[in-house]
Amino acid sequence: MLEAAIEVPRGDVTVAAAFSAGHDETVALLGPNGAGKTTIVEAIAGLVPTASGTIVLDDEPIHDLPPERRPIGIAFQDGVLFPHLSVLENVAFPVRARGARPRAARAHALELLGRLAPGIDPGAKPGTLSGGARQRVALARALAGTPRVLILDEPLSAVDVSARAELRALLRRTLGSFDGPRLLVTHDPVEAMTLADRVVVLEGGRITQTGTPEEIRDAPRTRYAADLVGMNLFVGRLMPLEAGVGVLEAADGVVTVPWPEGVAVEPIDDVLATLAPADVALHAARPEGSARNVIQGVVEEVAILGDRARVRLSGSPRLVAEITTGSVARMAIRTGGAVWASFKAVEIHLMVERGPTDTL
Amino acid sequence: MALASFGAASVLLPVVALFVRAPWSRLGGALSGVGASTALRLSIEVSLAATAISVVVGVPLAWVLARGEFPGRNLLRAVVVLPIVLPPVVGGVGLLVALGRSGVVGRWLHDALGLQLTFTTAGAVVATTFVSMPLVVLATEAGLRGLDRRHERAAAAMGGSPWYVFRRVTLPMVAPQLAAGAVLTWARALGEFGATITFAGNLAGRTQTMPLAIYQARQVDPGGAIVLSLILVVVSVSVLVALGGRLTGPR
Repeated sequence: MLEAAIEVPRGDVTVAAAFSAGHDETVALLGPNGAGKTTIVEAIAGLVPTASGTIVLDDEPIHDLPPERRPIGIAFQDGVLFPHLSVLENVAFPVRARGARPRAARAHALELLGRLAPGIDPGAKPGTLSGGARQRVALARALAGTPRVLILDEPLSAVDVSARAELRALLRRTLGSFDGPRLLVTHDPVEAMTLADRVVVLEGGRITQTGTPEEIRDAPRTRYAADLVGMNLFVGRLMPLEAGVGVLEAADGVVTVPWPEGVAVEPIDDVLATLAPADVALHAARPEGSARNVIQGVVEEVAILGDRARVRLSGSPRLVAEITTGSVARMAIRTGGAVWASFKAVEIHLMVERGPTDTL
Repeated sequence: MALASFGAASVLLPVVALFVRAPWSRLGGALSGVGASTALRLSIEVSLAATAISVVVGVPLAWVLARGEFPGRNLLRAVVVLPIVLPPVVGGVGLLVALGRSGVVGRWLHDALGLQLTFTTAGAVVATTFVSMPLVVLATEAGLRGLDRRHERAAAAMGGSPWYVFRRVTLPMVAPQLAAGAVLTWARALGEFGATITFAGNLAGRTQTMPLAIYQARQVDPGGAIVLSLILVVVSVSVLVALGGRLTGPR
């Protein structure tokens, strides 16, 4: 269990955050650029000084320890691999820095690289690697010192789209099997929703909301959270339907989606799809028109946020729609009432997890 | 192009003239007559010793200048750079007043420890180091300032103690600049004249390095001076060509 309650000066503002991550929990720090996410994890790692506060790992305060004595492994944004050392020596670095013999450290590093970065030449210099390969090496290096806390800072931001899906799957496996609290820094809501058990939303150096991805999606507390986190998310098997169109069989329902470009027309597992609530239209009666997806549901909750209302529907699948408060009044939408939802297939954004295997 | 040709010519002309006027017919005699081998060996020993000391002392100094935050840092840098600006003779006089037998510190060195620097090879090394060290300090400081500090922070987060991080990350990452600075320091040390002759004197076999031997030969045997100069040119160019392409040029 990692518990942090810290204030960190950064420029002329102070980043303040209090949150915890359980032993088997992945917590995402989600926020726009400049929200203070990296500042917080660097303070936890001891790399930037805190103005005040405590950082406690398994009931043991670590905030007074110098960075090299904190049992924390970080994969930095962009990797920050040592350019003068080979891939192997980069991964062996945390082991050797803690006093292991070079031979034993290299053996451990080779084992990790074989698992996380197969196909990458251990003798290569980091400057010759692609963004995805660098991130894999950074991940191996973060784990090499057998840390008790794992921190990943924007692990997908420097990775091009073709390699992203495969790396995301690797991140999920790595986070899932890590024995201790995990922190994931990201500005990408899909990354947070798919990789984290709990999300801490940071804006302007303050925590604005904490909750499971579902809780934040259903009831976002700020405009930012509503716009970015409050997406409808479907995960499931993608099946071809007709030319350029497929159906996504999610756990709680089926949606019609455009077939992703450049992807072979065959069933694909573990496909992610997002749909902005603002793209879901609500109707009092079954709608006529061109929308491919028409779903009947019951209003579970209406949350007002400014002049917009988020309407949560039970149905197949479950949906969140965002409409104006005027429409809520006009259609007499209320909790427990029946309503029709529709959205066009083209509004759905697909992410295919299984990428081409030769992207390394 | 014209300006570049002029620039190259201004460097080449004196060197070519040395070759033209060299007393090729009595080369052997001139060499032995002026003690060329003794002076050359001493020059190489003194310049290498001065370079080694400059690196050992200069790198920590560069670190303090690049990373230290204390009042008077810019003043310290100015003082460190001073030997580049000063005529070397002034450095020699300063060293004499400081470390000479009756100097401020030198008197104490002599009385308490029995150490004398003037008129010794050690004195030549001290004078040469004084003049040439700023080059490696400045090059290394520039390297440290240009360093992406994220790597050192990453190394600390990976469990590296400050000394371990310096040894395995900082130092290797500034190695190119440090090496270039060391080559320049060595080149400057090889040509050192003013401070050495003023502080250490001109004693054959002890403090008489090549430039000093050339200076002395010129008064009694101009042909010998040309031969000695040619030797220095050949040695310098060989070393700079062997190292320079890799260390001072584009990588």
